Amino acid sequence: MTEIGLPPINYGAITPMLILFGASCVGVFVEAFVPKAQRHLVQLVLSLGAITAALVTVVWQADTRTVTAGGAIAIDGPTLFLQGAILVLGVVSILLIGERSLERGGPFVAQAAIVVGSDADRNQTVRQPGATDIYPLSLFALTGMLLFVAANDLLTMFIGLEVLSLPLYLMCALARRRRLLSQEAALKYFMLGAYASAFFLFGLALVYGFTAGTPSGSGDNGGGVDFATIAAAVRNSEVSPALLYAGIALIAVGLLFKAAAAPFHVWTPDVYQGAPTPVTGFMAACTKVAAFGALLRVLHVAFGGASWAYTPVLGAVAALTMLVGAVLAVTQTDIKRLLAYSSVANAGYLLVGALAVNKQGLASTMFYLVAYGFTVLAGFAVVTLVRDADGEATHLSRWAGLGRRSPLFAGVFTFILLAFAGIPVTSGFTSKFAVFGAASGAGHTWLVVVGVLSSMILAFPYLRVVVMMWLSEPGESTPSVLVPGGLTAAALTIGVAATLVLGVAPESLLDLTNRAAEFVP
Amino acid sequence: MTGADLLLLALGAVAVGAGLLVVTTRHLVRAGLYLVVCLAAVAGLYLVLTAELVAWVQVLIYVGAVVVLLLFAVMLTRAPIGASDDLDRPGWPAALVGGGAGLGLAVLLVDAFRWSTVELPEAGTAERLGAIVFGSWVLPFELLSVLLLAALIGAIVLSRPEIGASPEEERR
Repeated sequence: MTEIGLPPINYGAITPMLILFGASCVGVFVEAFVPKAQRHLVQLVLSLGAITAALVTVVWQADTRTVTAGGAIAIDGPTLFLQGAILVLGVVSILLIGERSLERGGPFVAQAAIVVGSDADRNQTVRQPGATDIYPLSLFALTGMLLFVAANDLLTMFIGLEVLSLPLYLMCALARRRRLLSQEAALKYFMLGAYASAFFLFGLALVYGFTAGTPSGSGDNGGGVDFATIAAAVRNSEVSPALLYAGIALIAVGLLFKAAAAPFHVWTPDVYQGAPTPVTGFMAACTKVAAFGALLRVLHVAFGGASWAYTPVLGAVAALTMLVGAVLAVTQTDIKRLLAYSSVANAGYLLVGALAVNKQGLASTMFYLVAYGFTVLAGFAVVTLVRDADGEATHLSRWAGLGRRSPLFAGVFTFILLAFAGIPVTSGFTSKFAVFGAASGAGHTWLVVVGVLSSMILAFPYLRVVVMMWLSEPGESTPSVLVPGGLTAAALTIGVAATLVLGVAPESLLDLTNRAAEFVP
Repeated sequence: MTGADLLLLALGAVAVGAGLLVVTTRHLVRAGLYLVVCLAAVAGLYLVLTAELVAWVQVLIYVGAVVVLLLFAVMLTRAPIGASDDLDRPGWPAALVGGGAGLGLAVLLVDAFRWSTVELPEAGTAERLGAIVFGSWVLPFELLSVLLLAALIGAIVLSRPEIGASPEEERR
């Protein structure tokens, strides 16, 4: 009987994940034991408290650089920065999720099991408070995201991917209004997500085959899937590189699906439209950070030595993503679908930054992720405010004349759209400038050209919405803009303030990303 | 060619043949049963490669749990038991994609390894696997329980009607 030796685990390094996981377990107990009337408040405070505590522990270990838990977790600058970003954006998302003053009972359905359209369903739509299970689910998703960006081998990364995806699929299905659309979105996301996960797994198997014969961390020659072994195999493996290229391609498919890059973006508009708007914001901000965090680590650490091989292919994917997102955004008539295609295009810009495999590319991509996250959360916060009797009025024609009816919110939304379009004085300009600068520094001039072109195309749908809001007369059907409750107001203020500050004075965050932009080997 | 090679080839042929039958049969239930053959052949492959625990886990989880789940789904959704014609629609795009992917991967792997031999590591006994899972892979292993917990809660959220609601209230 061999003695089973536990690898040394630096518990400080996994504390943020443990805190979130513990809080979600407590949240499950709250569901069971706390009376219904108080659950919402308890869950909200618990979630916000847990995320804040996790954020504090991330900041507290800002100088830690280590690989721990048997090589499964790497804590380094990018990990900590991205974990911090996910947690900060997570706080803002929870604020949006917790809002209950816009609609009686909040944006989530009370009982997802009730058949859509039945009497009981109509009853619960107007009367019952929404299910509070959404909080433990979002904490599970956040746990998975923290793991995803910290994973130091492909297997842990796959588990992180599943832990973050599964709660997201469920959260998509919980909208209070338009439930069929919401359930369809969840099912579509689940099916395609499972398909993408299978690609990732197959790629993992091929890469493992490629590392055969390379000494791994555990000492034998059997290869392995941790990034250090893969990087060593990329440098000098005798196995045919065809395995490596196929493996990189399949793993990239899995990750680019989550990041919503073309041609793996087809789920994005439907899911963004069908999911409850706060969840859409959560996906657009936090999931994007997590997906690109993992992609950056894979491209830089594991496959950095083969960047000459994947750059042309992924560059083509980036160009396609930018163009598809921009061109299709022009044709949209629904504000949530428009923002979804805009998110696809932004995945393209992020990919441009990620393909510059150097310190500058890493730093600029991380900056872009944070800046975009805040702006997109503020954007979806405004979408939750424009309502009529049937819930959110998302059709673009309904937004005509909104500037006359509510100049303040139309002004805020105009500012957000200008930030998406990349106008100076907004974070959109600084972040685009940073990634394009990094890309041209790495010699990818053609990607910068495509990026600038697609930004020009993409400015058109944004400006069309702006013109529609300000230059049309409000009609009979123009919905009202509700005065936001405290939580949405806070989320909106944080998002807009961050967009402005990162546009006017980005130095401190740029400095932080530059200092953080170094992976541990 | 050793006996192990012959066995691998034979089991592989069984797995591929059964897999083909799964997608070509017009009987939904038979497709599920062919899946049993296919998965059991894969378990046999593991056994030949001395990974005994993996083989038994394959039998338990896939042949046991997954196929039973599949048959239950057929039963609960009142799917037709006999031959269903809509399962027989022309599937050439799927055949093209599936066959293309299969052939492509086969060419890739054959080209990658040709006649190179890889020494089999020591036998994949339960003891060795346990030592690895609870040794260097302990954190990912524990994290899988997070995934299971999340899935469990999700299933409850999606499918459970309110406990304690009176029947009258449910009707309303």
